[in-house]
Amino acid sequence: MSAPPAVTLDHVSKWYGQVIGINDVSLAIDGGVTGILGMNGAGKSTLFKLLMGRLRPNRGAVRLFGTNPWDSTSPYRRVGYVSESEKMYDWMTSMDFVSTLARLHGMTRYEAEKKAERALSFVDLDNVANKEIGKYSKGMRQRVKIAAALVHNPDLLVLDEPLHGCDPLARTSIMNVIREMGSMGKTVLVSSHILEEIERITEQIVILHSGRLVALGNLHAIRAMLDKHPHRILIRCENSRALAASFIDKEPVYGVRFIDTESLEIMTKDLSQAHEILPSLIIKSGIPIHSIENPDDNLESLLGYLVGDSK
Amino acid sequence: MTFGDPEDSEGRRLSTTVWTAIDRKAGAVIELTIKQLRNKTSTWTVFGISFLLLTLLSAFYIDSVRQGFESIDNDGDSVDNDGDGYPLGQEKKYGSSDFDREEYPGSGLFIPSGEIYYSGPRTHTGNHTWDVEGPSIFTLNWDNIDSSFPDSGQQCPDQIDDEMINTPYGWGPFSCTIEDGLKYVQFLRFEGEGTLSVADGWLATYGITTEKFDVPPEPSQNYVDEDGIDWDPDNPSSSQGFDDDGDCTQSEYNESSYGENDDSNRNGIPCDVQWVRGADGSVLQIRPDYLVDEDPVDSELMGESSHRSFIIITGKIAFSMIIGIFLPLFLALGLIRDESENGTLHYLLSKPIHRGEFIVYRLAGYLIFAGGFVLAMSLMMAVLTSTLGPDGNRFSDVNMWFGIGVVTVLSLAAYGSIFNAMGLISPRYGVYFALIFGVYEFAMAVMTLFGAELVPIFSVSHWALQMIDAIVLVVWSDTIMLSQMATAFNLDTGLAFFWSPPKHTLGTGSPALAIGLSLAVLISFILLPILIGQSIFKRREID
Amino acid sequence: MTEVDGDMPLGETRIEAAYGSGDGDNTSTATVASAPKGQIFEQIYRPWNGTLGPRWVRNYAIYRHHVYGIVTGSGHRRYHPFVRLTLLVVILGSMTPILMLLLSSMFSGDASGFLNRMWGVNRYNLWGNILGYFPRNLCMWPLLTALVVGGLVSDDRKNGTSAIYFSRPISRLDYASMKWLSAASVLGAVILLTYIMYYSAAVVFKGEGWSYIADTIPIFMGGLTAGILLVFTYTSIGIALSSISTSRFTASVSFLGLVLGSKIVAWLIEIQFETTYIYLLSPYDCLAHVGQWLVGLPPNYNHPLAVSAVSLILMNLASLAVFASRVASLEVTRE
Repeated sequence: MSAPPAVTLDHVSKWYGQVIGINDVSLAIDGGVTGILGMNGAGKSTLFKLLMGRLRPNRGAVRLFGTNPWDSTSPYRRVGYVSESEKMYDWMTSMDFVSTLARLHGMTRYEAEKKAERALSFVDLDNVANKEIGKYSKGMRQRVKIAAALVHNPDLLVLDEPLHGCDPLARTSIMNVIREMGSMGKTVLVSSHILEEIERITEQIVILHSGRLVALGNLHAIRAMLDKHPHRILIRCENSRALAASFIDKEPVYGVRFIDTESLEIMTKDLSQAHEILPSLIIKSGIPIHSIENPDDNLESLLGYLVGDSK
Repeated sequence: MTFGDPEDSEGRRLSTTVWTAIDRKAGAVIELTIKQLRNKTSTWTVFGISFLLLTLLSAFYIDSVRQGFESIDNDGDSVDNDGDGYPLGQEKKYGSSDFDREEYPGSGLFIPSGEIYYSGPRTHTGNHTWDVEGPSIFTLNWDNIDSSFPDSGQQCPDQIDDEMINTPYGWGPFSCTIEDGLKYVQFLRFEGEGTLSVADGWLATYGITTEKFDVPPEPSQNYVDEDGIDWDPDNPSSSQGFDDDGDCTQSEYNESSYGENDDSNRNGIPCDVQWVRGADGSVLQIRPDYLVDEDPVDSELMGESSHRSFIIITGKIAFSMIIGIFLPLFLALGLIRDESENGTLHYLLSKPIHRGEFIVYRLAGYLIFAGGFVLAMSLMMAVLTSTLGPDGNRFSDVNMWFGIGVVTVLSLAAYGSIFNAMGLISPRYGVYFALIFGVYEFAMAVMTLFGAELVPIFSVSHWALQMIDAIVLVVWSDTIMLSQMATAFNLDTGLAFFWSPPKHTLGTGSPALAIGLSLAVLISFILLPILIGQSIFKRREID
Repeated sequence: MTEVDGDMPLGETRIEAAYGSGDGDNTSTATVASAPKGQIFEQIYRPWNGTLGPRWVRNYAIYRHHVYGIVTGSGHRRYHPFVRLTLLVVILGSMTPILMLLLSSMFSGDASGFLNRMWGVNRYNLWGNILGYFPRNLCMWPLLTALVVGGLVSDDRKNGTSAIYFSRPISRLDYASMKWLSAASVLGAVILLTYIMYYSAAVVFKGEGWSYIADTIPIFMGGLTAGILLVFTYTSIGIALSSISTSRFTASVSFLGLVLGSKIVAWLIEIQFETTYIYLLSPYDCLAHVGQWLVGLPPNYNHPLAVSAVSLILMNLASLAVFASRVASLEVTRE
């Protein structure tokens, strides 16, 4: 028999009084980076807390490596968790913090310090490892949390909003860390409410909305499934009317709208095909372009379609 | 590896067992807890104030050692109330009053032989010493009423009548001559031969006066520390003591009605001290007759006994009550509650550590930190009192302080686990429960200090104080004797006030049993809340 | 639009862009977002010319906010349900003598005499209603003060809510004095009102006349003064401790530790070393000493009354100084 998947949820529901946090979610995740997408209050943190044994499901079963995390702490030997909590022990150095947590895995002090060093250099904090966490910036603090989560070389890494509140530089370095973890063959769960962030890390996504599992799988595949819905492309250019004329007769385009003299909105039912033909048409027309945007390419519109679809 | 110990992919050696891993987890949580407490300002404030408190008490102690013990007139007989030059102790021996200038040792005592009573015949004739109270007429052959009471110039009554009941000449000694051989007298003692007639409603006594003799007055210092404790531990008899200053044996020798000497302890032997001893020879009770061994040499006895009372009371109030109750209130309540409020609990609980284990390690960390402080403080006090204390085997001080330290650490543990469990049971109300519980414990401790034995039985502080009482008896088995001596012989040491033998001994009186019982109760006060806290924390959902 | 209409109030466009305060029909939302180049908006601040309510009205609002929370749950500074419960228990506890007086007026004979001796109005009982150690000053007043005063300033410090006050036309003196007054009035309501009720009950239940009142009113007034002193001192010390600490619980425990600890240590030193001077460090004993003089009881202390009085004044001054300096350093923004 093969090893059980890292994460299994079987018809899991969790409610807080009248409010439902997770509504009948079933999924199994094993290997690679998975983005958990959802708006605030969609149930991402509740899902993670269920996984980490903080909460007990009202219905269904949660399994980490085949073990119920509410009853047993043993799966945590293979799990690293970065909580959404902002507070840390500000008086500790990151070295202390990470090695103390490492010792909770039963390592000796020496072992723990060695591993902490490795983890901190992995997240690029080795040069400030002996500074107090209180003096760190937001991004550095997030990275310390990640270092603490992967100090014991876990097989599963759960990251609750790791990019929240970080500046672009910190964002990029944290994304690199996550990608690297994924390429090392670990199972990584990352939650976010920003599609673009997740897109830069992984293609495998889970979308939650109001506690329900809305979509699961490859981002592009999901999007392709949604291609029958109208998409918009916003182009800013010098002469919008001239540009519009060049592709009004092309197949994927079914409508054009002028917002003002310098911007133009194209309606299409096949986004990928539209993007395929767009560059050549623009070059052919010779009209200077300021920007091309996909206003629908965010979580809200995606959710709008998905939820609208389910109704 | 140097030991040829193979490593797995994680670098863990095969010799790493479950047990060593548990040790390491415990070590990590304990270390974290200690570091956390060390980083709180309130910790050092509380430690600082506790240290200041002990310094204050030590300063008083050092000052009292430096001054030594003055001789105290424990029975108060060195005074001279009437100013006749004879101290009370000397007057007592001679049976004279210390409130009458005219009466002093050797002054000649008036011994009554008969009286003119309120009812009955109003006159009497004879040659006597007369002691007249109210208005009277004396028809005399001779008398010695001399010029000490000259006629006051007031009109002298020529007879005594009904009006006289209100003594028209006041309430002091007075006499005047009505005519030759006839005198008016009131409130006066004199010698004379003749007939005395007394006004209705008044009385007079007559008798003889003993011969005067010369007794030189003694200096009042003779009546300070003049009646030491006479007791011989080797003498198996329970009747001990000797009335060195004779105020028991010699008082009232002249009054026939009190012919027998004082035997207030009712052991059949007048003017002795009864020393009741247990089977092992230790003194359990001391019952002196009135005025026997009542003014011992203070510097010999006070030193040891007030030294002990200082240690006991500092141990009880400063250590067990103040440090024992308030330190946990500041340090223990937030051990887990603060973590879960701040959200930092997530870091710790994401690691493979059982929640129940976690509580125990947290408490252990707090206990090592706070207990270390308490033991250090008690060591400091031990060094101080064993160096400065009165001569003798002062190593016992160290034992006593160690005992106090251990009791305080037990209280810290009990309060720690109780407060912690309160925080876990109700994150919202826990702090308020803890505050009220703290005040309750303090009040129960005060009641225990004042000797209550039943009401405070459901409090940690009661059992902690009881345990200190019992440890005192183990370390210094003669404390009962010192305490009894303090009560019996009016020694003002505070020992009898602050210490009494342990109350909960199941009737055996054994201090070891009392320690065992207190220990059992305290340990259940420690374990029960931990178990309750564990079972609640295990089921708690952490958001 | 980059240009601003003359009629249009300045900044409205931006407000709508930021918060969508318009009805959504106008195009101004889009215009700001589509501004192709950098744009600088003139900043013009106009002073507010409305009339400010009188100072006492504003102060009363602060005061009310802190006191009404005892009774109502919303719109006012919430008193923790447990604090309310303790308040109730303490009030009931301090009214037991009234119950006893009622009982004694119902019985006659020996029982009544006994109850009257124990709980009737006399110097000792009037003193004891305010200043008795057990249970009032051991279990009730300090706990009450600790719970009421605990979070008064420390909560503001911890949560940064002091900014709510200081961003409005309220001076630090207003803030501090209203905080102090609100705590004092809660304590006063419990301590002084039950005391007054006790005395009135004695007069009413026993059907006493004017001569009785004339005889006892000076003692009663002495006790009342002692009670005011007690409320003043406990409030000052408590609020000073609350302003030092960042957690309401630390403040409460510190207050209890100070009041209960100093008393018992002073007592220890009196018994062991025969001096009463350490009682000067204990707020309760200074109050009790002055109180004994106020109701005309023989003092329990060997040191002169004046020293106790001076110590009491120093305690209050020191506490108020600490409180004032801490309030002065309260940040307008979150700490």
